[in-house]
Amino acid sequence: MKADSHVEQLATEARSIVGSAAVSGGGEKDAIDGIVPKLIVEPPDTQTLAEILAWASERQQSVLVRGGGTKITWGPLPSKLDVVLSTRHLNAVLNHRYGDLTATVEAGATLATVNDRLSQHGQWIPLDPFLENQATIGGIVATNDAGPRRHRHGSPRDLIIGVTLARVDGRCTKAGGAVVKNVAGYDLSRLLTGSFGSLAVILSASFKLAPQPHSSRTVVVKASSLSELGMIAMALLASQLTPTAIESQFPECLLFVRFETIVEAAINQAERTVKLAKDLGKQSTILSGAPEEILWRAHSARPWEEPGLVFKVSTPPADVTNTLEWISGAAEKHRVKWEAVGRAGLGVQIVRFDGDLATQIDLITSLRSRLKSPRQGSVVLLRGQPELKQRIDTWGPLGNVVETMRAIKQQFDPMGILNPGRGPGNI
Amino acid sequence: MNQSFLNTLQRIVGQGGFVIDPGERLTYECDALTHVREVPGAVVLPGTTEEIQKVVTLCNRERVPFVARGAGTGLSGGARPLADGLLIVTTRLNRILDIDIPNQRITVEPGVANLEVSRQVATHGFYYAPDPSSQQICSIGGNIAENSGGAHCLKYGFTSHHVLSVEAVLPNGNIVQIDGPALDAPGLDLLGVLIGSEGTLAIVTKATLRLLRIPEATQTVLAAFNSTDTAAEVVSGIIKAGIIPAAVEMMDRLTIEAAEAAVHPGFPNADAILIVELDGSLVEVEALMQRVEQICYQNNVQSLQRAQDEAERARIWKGRKAAFAAMGRVAPNYYIQDGVVPRTRLPEVLRKIRQLEADSGLRIGNVFHAGDGNLHPLICYDSNLEGQAELAERVATEILTYCIEAGGSITGEHGVGIDKAKHLPKMFNDDDLDSMQRVRRAFDPKGLCNPGKIFPTPRLCGEIPGPYREHPAERTGQAERF
Repeated sequence: MKADSHVEQLATEARSIVGSAAVSGGGEKDAIDGIVPKLIVEPPDTQTLAEILAWASERQQSVLVRGGGTKITWGPLPSKLDVVLSTRHLNAVLNHRYGDLTATVEAGATLATVNDRLSQHGQWIPLDPFLENQATIGGIVATNDAGPRRHRHGSPRDLIIGVTLARVDGRCTKAGGAVVKNVAGYDLSRLLTGSFGSLAVILSASFKLAPQPHSSRTVVVKASSLSELGMIAMALLASQLTPTAIESQFPECLLFVRFETIVEAAINQAERTVKLAKDLGKQSTILSGAPEEILWRAHSARPWEEPGLVFKVSTPPADVTNTLEWISGAAEKHRVKWEAVGRAGLGVQIVRFDGDLATQIDLITSLRSRLKSPRQGSVVLLRGQPELKQRIDTWGPLGNVVETMRAIKQQFDPMGILNPGRGPGNI
Repeated sequence: MNQSFLNTLQRIVGQGGFVIDPGERLTYECDALTHVREVPGAVVLPGTTEEIQKVVTLCNRERVPFVARGAGTGLSGGARPLADGLLIVTTRLNRILDIDIPNQRITVEPGVANLEVSRQVATHGFYYAPDPSSQQICSIGGNIAENSGGAHCLKYGFTSHHVLSVEAVLPNGNIVQIDGPALDAPGLDLLGVLIGSEGTLAIVTKATLRLLRIPEATQTVLAAFNSTDTAAEVVSGIIKAGIIPAAVEMMDRLTIEAAEAAVHPGFPNADAILIVELDGSLVEVEALMQRVEQICYQNNVQSLQRAQDEAERARIWKGRKAAFAAMGRVAPNYYIQDGVVPRTRLPEVLRKIRQLEADSGLRIGNVFHAGDGNLHPLICYDSNLEGQAELAERVATEILTYCIEAGGSITGEHGVGIDKAKHLPKMFNDDDLDSMQRVRRAFDPKGLCNPGKIFPTPRLCGEIPGPYREHPAERTGQAERF
């Protein structure tokens, strides 16, 4: 009873700031790793969002920002979960300066909606992250999530040129701007990118855009082993070909090499890729149109469809093969299934691994110790059962930078109300 | 700085790395913002990360402010020393530590010159993309501090897009490894905020850089127009056609004539020229260059010249790069600004600058990165004429106001430093600056690391307002302004 009246009191206070319709009690559908938040607050605009943040800070209520919720379980178990702050009403494309190839969009807009709007002028934010139809700009920036085209266009940190943010003291501030070239002041846009909502709430972001490609071709290369797959990927990297994506799939041992440019150049480069593969003894096919789209849609859903542990392993590109071979060996030892998809040219792989809790713990721990130091690579847990998150550090070792990260957290969020314990390095 | 402090410094860096003689210290009184001078209290040239660590630890303990300096080519006074502070020069840290061609990375010390990185990997078919005009002598450490750009950042981005990791000495003396050769190191993006922080957060002692494959084809075209407005229309037309050139540079009549007189690049007699460079696969470049030329023709291009070979291409770029130095033929002095405007606002801002030229009586040359709207107006004056230097500074400030009003920035690549610290509040309010200062305090709670830069202060000790003066390296031909 006492707890209920406390929550009711908080809800009343929140309603007085954002209005009745914007506050509701947390339910099972809002739970994160089984923990149900007290309140869901959906501010109608940036000003009230900032005010609710200041209120939460004053009342020492923890705040977890939610966009599309597609990556809400990434990160450790919440140490405290009071208020879920939804950005869903902040969903406007504030400005599309198509002549300047830039756009400013609010955090709660989905990437798909934004890109649909930008396509009216033949442009897009060149990102294709996980669940792009539901993922919001704020969530994509907060997690620095990027998909296959990262090979050419980079991740959100490479495309963001400005940000507005709400601090826990209720102040809205900005950094960067709306021009692509700008070195005035500290680049807080980048600091916020990948901060997992631990420093401030992202209200809007400005991006450098790209023209939509004229045409696309994808070469599908079938290898017979991981080492062959790696060899072809490294040969592509060393070539003068300019793919927008080099993706691998295991256990199928497939490599997808995409070219997006004017049609004659896409065809030319695809044909050269076929020749490169042939010289290495491998057959390949060129896809375009609907079959190509179907392939990429299916690829984008991997490896999330099946249950099990999902983690990201990042290494220098030349180490991808031996890292995946090592995981393959571990899977064989434990007699479990596994799969991996990822950016073969960048060294970033998303791995799904079955097995019981003990097996998963053993895999993550051993793989981290194999990579020796965070400088050689990292293993970050993306999806895991709560019991695993209790036993394993989601982020893994951060090295000797963690003190500086904590100092930054202390400066922006001294009471530790923003996504407490879940930010990078558990800040 | 007392004698005991100086003695300890000398013990750390040795006799050869310690400069206390007043005459020798004078060498370091400014960077390429030559009118802002201050003789440093002492200078050290450490040879290792560990020496830098010991020096910084000592400064932290004794609360002595310090400034890091690379090659001293910065144009905003970021490496301007302090009379009561220590200058830490990184030029002796100039080793190439590792070249990793399969992973397309190179690890270097901060004193390595920008161009040297590309030279080291050229035989493997790779290069380092950021190309500030002073790239023959400017150092990687300085590039990281300033987030340096160059003509080719339109397509390839800035230094921040090409640094994978650094080792740095924090203001408390701790050595940290920020990120690594693998992407996505977990944690806050400290590297993202460190790059471009103008030496106010840490001293970088090693850097791992991303290398790019030299493109299969590069083509360059020189197009002449009857006005900068028309040339700007062409730039918009190229972007609208979905083409992202490697570089798009514009020069107006004044700078064309000056460059022509200085290095004879064969520039046409025109009110404006564009240099458009495309790179990538041969098939793509060939097709898109035809499209670029079409757009030029649609806009009444006066002459169009596609470089037929590498020598011709080099000659065009030589003319472009000589433009700054060539302004010495127009006037004894010039003041340079670095404002940015959204590309679509270029015609309007250029018209305003032309009006300002008429109103002020000072000639203003425009040579700039048109593709990304980064202006470099050159305001010509004669410092021997009473009041002209001050007038030039007022004109420069007015141009920055145009840039801000157009939704741009006060600096695209030269940095805020001391030169533009007083203008930063025109872009950011107190709350914005407070957010940035929080980062500063997290890294440098005592405020010892390059104090007085970027952020406005009531009045900077030793600051002498005034315009650009030629840097010694420019006089000797070692550096060019871009």
